[in-house]
Amino acid sequence: MDELLQEFLTETNEGLGYLDVELVKLEQNPNDPDILSNIFRLMHTIKGTCGFLGLPRLEAVAHAGENVLGKVRDGDVEVTPGLVSIVLECLDRIRLILGALEETEAEPVGDDSELIARLETVAEGWDAEQLTQPVASDALETGSDAPSEEAASVPTAEDSAADETVSEVDPEQADEDVPVELAEIEATEENIVEMVQPGEEVVAVVSNDGAGGGQPPAPEMEAGDQGQPRESSVANQSIRVNVELLENLMTMVSELVLNRNQLLQILRTHKDSDFAAPLQRLNHVVSELQEGVMKTRMQPIGNAWAKLPRIVRDLSQDMHKKIDLQMKGADTELDRQVLELIKDPLTHMVRNSADHGLETTEGRRAAGKPETGTIVLNAYHEGGHIIIQITDDGRGLNTDKIKEKALANGLTTEAELANMNEQQIMQFIFKPGFSTAQEVTSVSGRGVGMDVVRSNIEKIGGNVELTSKYGKGTSFTIKIPLTLAIVSALIVESASERFAIPQLAVIELVRASANSDHSIERINDTPVLRLRNRLLPLVNLSELLKLEREDDESEKDQFIVVAKVGTYSFGIIVDRVFDTEEIVVKPVAPILRDITLFSGNTILGDGSVVMILDPNGIAGETGELTVTEGMEGMAEQKAAKSDDTVAMLLFKAGSEAPKAVPLGLVARLEEIDRETIETSGGQPVVQYRGQLMPLITMDSHQALEGTGRQQVLVFTDRNRSMGLVVDSILDIVEEPLNIELGGEHQGYIGSATIAGKATDIIDTGYFLTQAYSDWFQADGKLEGDSASNRILLVDDSPFFRNLLAPLLSSAGYNVTSVEGADAALELCEAGEDFDVILSDIEMPGMSGFEFAAAVRANRWSETPLVALSGHASPNDFARGRAAGFSDYVTKFDRAGLLASLNETLSNMRGAA
Amino acid sequence: MKSCLIVDDSKTVRMVAKRILEELSFSTREACDGQEALQLCESEMPDAILLDWNMPVKNGIDFLRELRGKVGVNQPVVIFCTTENGLSHIHEAIAAGADEYIMKPFDSGIVESKFSQVGLI
Repeated sequence: MDELLQEFLTETNEGLGYLDVELVKLEQNPNDPDILSNIFRLMHTIKGTCGFLGLPRLEAVAHAGENVLGKVRDGDVEVTPGLVSIVLECLDRIRLILGALEETEAEPVGDDSELIARLETVAEGWDAEQLTQPVASDALETGSDAPSEEAASVPTAEDSAADETVSEVDPEQADEDVPVELAEIEATEENIVEMVQPGEEVVAVVSNDGAGGGQPPAPEMEAGDQGQPRESSVANQSIRVNVELLENLMTMVSELVLNRNQLLQILRTHKDSDFAAPLQRLNHVVSELQEGVMKTRMQPIGNAWAKLPRIVRDLSQDMHKKIDLQMKGADTELDRQVLELIKDPLTHMVRNSADHGLETTEGRRAAGKPETGTIVLNAYHEGGHIIIQITDDGRGLNTDKIKEKALANGLTTEAELANMNEQQIMQFIFKPGFSTAQEVTSVSGRGVGMDVVRSNIEKIGGNVELTSKYGKGTSFTIKIPLTLAIVSALIVESASERFAIPQLAVIELVRASANSDHSIERINDTPVLRLRNRLLPLVNLSELLKLEREDDESEKDQFIVVAKVGTYSFGIIVDRVFDTEEIVVKPVAPILRDITLFSGNTILGDGSVVMILDPNGIAGETGELTVTEGMEGMAEQKAAKSDDTVAMLLFKAGSEAPKAVPLGLVARLEEIDRETIETSGGQPVVQYRGQLMPLITMDSHQALEGTGRQQVLVFTDRNRSMGLVVDSILDIVEEPLNIELGGEHQGYIGSATIAGKATDIIDTGYFLTQAYSDWFQADGKLEGDSASNRILLVDDSPFFRNLLAPLLSSAGYNVTSVEGADAALELCEAGEDFDVILSDIEMPGMSGFEFAAAVRANRWSETPLVALSGHASPNDFARGRAAGFSDYVTKFDRAGLLASLNETLSNMRGAA
Repeated sequence: MKSCLIVDDSKTVRMVAKRILEELSFSTREACDGQEALQLCESEMPDAILLDWNMPVKNGIDFLRELRGKVGVNQPVVIFCTTENGLSHIHEAIAAGADEYIMKPFDSGIVESKFSQVGLI
C-alpha cells in the first residue's frame, strides 16, 4: 500500500476516534468553544487531507460534516442531540469508506447524496430531530435536559420497557465511554450496516427485545450499495442479552456454588473418597463459571458517572461557580447491580460537593484559592472492593456550624458536644435530619440528606468515610463490594451457634486469653481490649444476641474479631473462628427484617443455615459509633508525618485555652481514680507502679477532690515519675511548629497556633522542678564537674532552643545557643571555644551535615559534635558519622542526650 | 540548498509537501503545530515556511503574528496554505504577514509557481 495512503488511514482513524469522544462532550457542553473548535479542526483536517489523495467521495461526506460544524461554530445552528446524531452518522460513513479503502486501496462505489442532503438540511438550521427515524425520535424528543441519555437509548426501548433493557446499552447509560455502541445504535436506526473498524470491539445488535410492541424484532441488515457484508463476523463477537437472563444465570451459579461448598464439606470428612479428584475438578470449573458469570455483570463505573459532567456543568452555571470535575479510573468495573445502587448516592455527593463544598468564585478568590474549584472522582480496586473517592478543594466542613445545627435540630446536647472532637462532630452530617447548607438550594435541597447516602451505601455492604479540613476541602471515601450476590465471609461461633461476618468489615483477629499479651479488660463493666496502645471497645456476641451459654466458658480462650465500620473500630467477642467461605447472600426473612444485627442469611457448605451479621448494626448496638474516630485520624496523621513536623499532645488544664506539650516528652497517659490521691508533705501524690508519684496541677484552682477519674500526663525520667493533672486530652496533632515566644508566664515556653487555635506550649522543665526541685540537679551531680563544660547549641527552632537550653543548664552545663550554622561559625571566628557542639540536622541555610564539615575544617576541628535530629535511622546515623558527628541523638530523648554528652566529654578527656 | 519548514497537523499533508519540496531541491523540516514551528524557527530560521491554518495548540495565524512580531531576525517567506478560501481569510492571512496564499489541495505545479512568484526559485 502506498505509504501516503497508509499514513492517511492511520491519521484519519485516530481523528475519528477523537471526534466520537469530542462530539459527545460537545453534546454535554454545547457552548464550549474549545471542544467545538477542536471538533471542527479534526473534521477539517480529514476533509483537507482527502484532497491530496484524490478521494472525492470521502471529501464530499467530510465536507458536508464540516459544513454543519462550521455553522455550529459560527453560532448559526444550535447543538441538539439530533445534530450530534447526524454528525456521528457522518463519521460512521467516513469509517465505512475508510474500511473499504484499507482493503481495496480505492474508494468504494456508493451514494452518499441522501446523507449529504440531510447534513445540508441540518446546516441550514432545520431541526435535526425531525430528520432521524421515527423509532429514535421518541427518545430524542423528550427534551434537551438530558440529551446524552436520550441519544444513547436503545431504539426500541420505550419507557415501559426500561426494565427489560439490555445490559450493554442501558437507557441511563450515557455514551461518553461507549462511542462504538452509540455508533452501532445509530447504524441500526439508519440501517447502515457496517461502520466499525475490523478488530475493534463491537457490540452487534442480535435481537431487540420485543417490548417495543410493533417494532420490528431485529434491524434489517440491509446490505445496501455501501454495505460490506461483514456483520456476521461482527455479530459473533458480542451479543446483547437480556439482563434478566443474566440475573437468572447468576442465581443458578450461586446455587451451584452452594452445592459445591456442600460437596467439598462432605469430602473433607471422607479423605480417601473416589470422588476427591472429580470434585476438585468440579470445584475449579464452578469457580471459573462463577467468575465468568460475574464478569458478564460487570460494567465500568464510568457508566454511573456519565451524567456527572453535565450535572456539574449545569450547577456551575446556575451557581456562578467555576468547577473542574476530574474523573479518574472510570473504567474500573463493578457489578451492575452495585452500580445501579451506587449511582444515586454518588450523584448526590457530587452535587453536594459542587453546591455546598465549593465556594463561590468570589469566596475562593477571597480565600486565596484558584477561582476554579476542583472535584475529583477517583475509583480503583482494592482487595476485592471498589474504592470511590470524591474530593473537593472547597471550604471544608465548618464544625461550629455543624454543632449549632446539631443542637438546633435536637440531635445532641451541649454536654455531649463538649466531649467530641472534630471528627466526631463531622459525623453529624450523616445523621438523619441534618443539612449544613444554610438555605436549602434548588440543587441539594431535595429532601435527600447525607443520611440517605450513607444508608444506601451501607445497604450494599459498603461504608463511607469522611475527612475534612476547614478551609481546605472535604473528601469522602466510599468502599463497596464488587458484587452483592456472593461475598467472602468469616464463619464464627458463639454459644454453639454459627454466624457469618462479611470479610469487608473484618480487620484482624485477636486471640485473647488470660495469660497472653492480649487479655480482655473491663472499664466500668464494659469489656475492652488493649491493642497496640489503643483501647478497643468490645461487644460480646452471645450477650448481644442474648444467647444462652451452656456453661461458664469465661475461662476459655476467646477470639476477638476486630471490625471496622466507617472510621470506628470495635471488637466482637466470639468463641470460635472457623474459616472464610464464599457465601451466597440471601435476604433476611421479612419477620427478621427489623433486626439490624443481621444483613441476611446463607447456607453453608454443610447445609446449615446461618445468619449473616451486619457490622453496622452491631456498631449501632454498642451505641458508641464515634468513640475512637479521632484516634484513628491521629494514627493516620502519624503515618503520614513529615520530618519538619512535631507531634504535639493537646490538652486542657485549668483554663479554657488549649495547651500543648511535645508528645515525645510524655511517657504515658493515665487515668487515675481521684479517691486514690493522697497527700504527702502538702503535695498530692498517687501510688503509681510501686512508687509515690507527685501530682502537679497547672494552676492552684484545679481541684483534686471528689470522686471519678482524673486524667494525668506522666513524665518519667530514670526511675522517677511525675504526673501533670489535666482536665482532658484533646488531640494529638502533627504540625510544623511555629512558636511565638512570650514566656512571661512561668511554666510556659510560649504559644503557637496549633490546629487553628492559639495554644500555650508548656515548659515541662518548670513542672518537673515543681515535683522534684532537684530533678535536673540530680543529673548534674552524676556528671561531676560538668559545670565547667561549655556547650554550643545550634538549632533553628526557638522551641527546641528553649526546651533544651534550660535542660542543659540545669544539668550543669554552660549553654550558648544560636539559631543557625552561620551564627555558630561567627562565634568560632570571634574566638569562642566550646567543649562540645550540639547541632540540629534540618536547618534552613546550612544544614547540620554541612555545618559539621565546616567545623571539621576550621579551628574547632577537635571539638566533638553531637547531632540532634527528629529521626535517627541507621542511615542517618551513618551519614552523621561520615560528616564528622561523634554521636547522633533524637530530639526529646533527654536521657539519651545527657548520656551522650557525658560520654562524649569523658571520651575527650580520656583522649586528652 | 534553501530550507523550508512545513507546518501542518496532518502528517499526510506534510508528507505530500515534503515530496514536492524535495523535488524542488529544498531541505525540509516539519512541525505539527505553531508552537513547535516557533521552536524550530528559534533554533534555525528557514528560508521559507509552508503554513497550515487550522492546527491544535497554536494555529497558523497566531504563529505567523508571533513570528512577524519578532524583531531583528531574518524573516522567512511565508506561504499560507489552507482550505479556508474566503476572501476575508486571505486578507487576514496577508495582514498577518503572509507572502503568498495557496489553496489545499495543492500539487507540485501550484507550489512551484507560487515559490517562483515570491522569488524562492
